[in-house]
Amino acid sequence: MTDLTNINTALWREITESCGDIRKCFNCNTCVAGCPAAEGSPPLLIRNLVRKVLLGLEEALLEDETPWLCVTCSACEEMCPMGVHPFEVCLAIRRWQSRNDETFIPAAISEIFETGHTQALGQVREKRRAVGLDEVPPTIVKFPELLEKFREMLRNTDIVRDNEYMFKD
Amino acid sequence: MKYGFFLGCNVPAVRPDVERAIRLTMPALGAELVDLEGSVCCPAFGAFPSADETAGLAVSAWNFSIAEEMGVDLVTECGSCYSSLRIARKKLLEDGEKREAVNRLLKPAGKSFSGTVAVRHIIDVLYNDVGTETIRGALKFPLEGVNATVQYPCHTLFPSEIVGFDSPPGRPRMLQELVEALGATVQTYSRELQCCGGAGGFTKGSFAGASEFAFKKLDAMKKETDAELIVVSCITCLEHMDRMQNEMNKKNGDSACAFPVFDYNQLLAVCMGFDPSQVASISTIPRDGLIARITRS
Ligand code: SF4
Ligand code: SF4
Repeated sequence: MTDLTNINTALWREITESCGDIRKCFNCNTCVAGCPAAEGSPPLLIRNLVRKVLLGLEEALLEDETPWLCVTCSACEEMCPMGVHPFEVCLAIRRWQSRNDETFIPAAISEIFETGHTQALGQVREKRRAVGLDEVPPTIVKFPELLEKFREMLRNTDIVRDNEYMFKD
Repeated sequence: MKYGFFLGCNVPAVRPDVERAIRLTMPALGAELVDLEGSVCCPAFGAFPSADETAGLAVSAWNFSIAEEMGVDLVTECGSCYSSLRIARKKLLEDGEKREAVNRLLKPAGKSFSGTVAVRHIIDVLYNDVGTETIRGALKFPLEGVNATVQYPCHTLFPSEIVGFDSPPGRPRMLQELVEALGATVQTYSRELQCCGGAGGFTKGSFAGASEFAFKKLDAMKKETDAELIVVSCITCLEHMDRMQNEMNKKNGDSACAFPVFDYNQLLAVCMGFDPSQVASISTIPRDGLIARITRS
């Protein structure tokens, strides 16, 4: 039996702020049937995550790492017959986890803050020259003054402001 | 035809030969590409969209503002970039409050989002703007007697309302027809529409499960087709289908799975006579044998 003594009755509101209305979910399992990450171990079972949110099982949700297995294919988004937007739910749960436990905050965010990218585009000169390209691509890596403005912008976002220590200049 | 070429992070860093192939083939087919100077990560779904939605939309809007100033639509090969930008644009257009918040963030950098430019995937541009006739007419080495399979990028299929351009969404055909325009025969198989599984956190978070998922697809391809190569049009599909064959061979202790994997523009570039050492030089599963056959060298 699911223990409901310690639940957060407003959890669904916190999470559905930026996704579909999960109250319409009727447990049909379509989102699981077509999900690549449902073959993971442990599996990503969107339907079960929606249940956890609706029941307010805050502690269980904060320990659940399966939303991070999502391959972002949006098959569930296409197929859900109730317009729940399961992929958006998955991202919304990740955001909620990131807000409530900073260890969930993806490292890719500080990489983008530092360089504008998730890859070290300034350090592949030889590889690019070998195929006849400019050594530095014309993205923000080529324009340090723009990168500074980009970081300025990010410093005004909640995620960077609230977790300043993660973001180096 | 003029487009802002959105590079993203992976193509220019991991597979710059794909970037080279795109930069050579598209203008030769009448699709002029201009650089989106100062562009950044789309951002990847696993980055800002997984932590702070407004920040994620601001990063997308940064990219849009560059294209808007130049008055060009964005074109990208990367499925994730395509989907991330399409979804962000829709949210920014539909949610006035979000749009205002994002524009407040952009303002000090002298930028703004107004939603005047679109995001296109390169398959869409190749099929609908360039056209298979133009492609047929540009080939130096048509693919005669070559069997291929295609890998549709999931991010260009679903959610079809936001990202779709092929129809019906459940039975896409544009990539297949583009490969057929090169002279190849495309063979379908039971798991053709299964996504590659390489995006997001699946491989990182559950390597065994993600590998098995990919092996099933590769096994089906081996059993049900006589394909000599796989054609993709997404950097993640390209890397993942290449890497997973290697993993499968490691597991089986053989080298039985060896489909060369090409991004469409790479294969197109080889068929148009561009230098393979620039347009198709980086891979795990060797492509040289097939390239030599195509170019009769
Ligand atoms: S978007 Fe994520 S949750 Fe939905 S089907 Fe794809 S992998 Fe599964
Ligand atoms: S497909 Fe939609 S309605 Fe069905 S279980 Fe998943 S979220 Fe609920």
